[in-house]
Amino acid sequence: MTTRDDIETLILRVGTGDRAAFRALYAATSAKLFGVALRVLGDRAEAEEVLQEIYVKIWHNAARYNVNGLSPMTWLITIARNAAVDRLRKLRRADSPAELQERIADPGAGPEAMAIAASERARLATCLAELAATHAEAIRRAYLEGETYAELAARFDVPLNTMRTWLRRSLLKLRECLTR
Amino acid sequence: MSDQDQPDRDEDRILAGEYALGLLSPEAAAAFEARLVREPELRDAYAAWAEDFAAMTGDIAPQQPPARVWAGIEGQLFGAARRRTGLPGHGWLWGGVSAGVAALVLVFGLGIFRPQAPVAPVDAPYLADLAAEDGSLVVQAVYDDATGTLFVARETGAAAPGRALELWLIAGEAAPVSLGVLPEEARGVLDVPEALRDRVDGAVLAISDEPSGGSPTGAPTGAVLAAGPVRGI
Repeated sequence: MTTRDDIETLILRVGTGDRAAFRALYAATSAKLFGVALRVLGDRAEAEEVLQEIYVKIWHNAARYNVNGLSPMTWLITIARNAAVDRLRKLRRADSPAELQERIADPGAGPEAMAIAASERARLATCLAELAATHAEAIRRAYLEGETYAELAARFDVPLNTMRTWLRRSLLKLRECLTR
Repeated sequence: MSDQDQPDRDEDRILAGEYALGLLSPEAAAAFEARLVREPELRDAYAAWAEDFAAMTGDIAPQQPPARVWAGIEGQLFGAARRRTGLPGHGWLWGGVSAGVAALVLVFGLGIFRPQAPVAPVDAPYLADLAAEDGSLVVQAVYDDATGTLFVARETGAAAPGRALELWLIAGEAAPVSLGVLPEEARGVLDVPEALRDRVDGAVLAISDEPSGGSPTGAPTGAVLAAGPVRGI
């Protein structure tokens, strides 16, 4: 099992242009990031393309890993999630609404993954549970399905500004709970 | 912290959360990224959200990708076409734009100015390095405040067919102000209007994708492709 420190060391070495470290980082983390890309996109071919894009970004950005203060797996997962969501949004623009519904993947749970400590997941789940159920669902959909304010407003059948106000208030509540 | 700061701090926390979820408009996200470059507290607020939201991926099962993905990555990065050998690109992690200065790259970049192209004075006091996160667009800018001249050198990438790259100055909280469309040639100069000259130091330069001839609205209308802070040399 690769530890957090191992991953961090690999990222730092990749930042110096170390290809062997890059290969090792890929071996240690690509299954998790592929899982994330598949979860967001719900399509293997698209997820494969995006995974390639993700590791190209990792190679190009590893030298700045320290700049933002993220933990190593969060840094990797954020790159993966953002790239997958960007791709999903491009696909959605090309899709009809019916196809869009099809594409939204089931939030299926899988076996334990190395990346995120169970305690962090529990903490987030507890704090999301303190929000109104629809608001927590909106935050999940924004993160994992890349849904925009407009899409969320349509889904929950409320005006756009109402959606935005809801979600912004929920974010503040969530932050208060998470820092408690 | 005084009570007065609380609403601002709450607003920034909310904004950082919206940014981490990808809910901001492209313009608002670009403005947020410009602030991230120079506001450590905002970076902390963003980092806290990124950590917490990443926990949502905790129950996603790892899936082994097929071998062709790694082959594709190696081919793309290290294949014969690769030009920036051994130089990991630049890029802020947050969002699609990158910031930060690689002074060495800039110095070498200036060294390959064609003789007939405008050449930045070697003692110009300000520089900015604008790079897309994936390295697909890299532009270096050197600013001479004595003359208000901005020397731009497009190292990698170009406007999409029928589109233009437009350069924006983002000073503090102000809305982006256009500095003009980048020339089609790789190197050129842009004149910074007199009224803007004292706002360049510490500002952020950003490049957006725009219709040919530039944004019709006076504000960025397309994706922000690259950005970087202006720094004193």
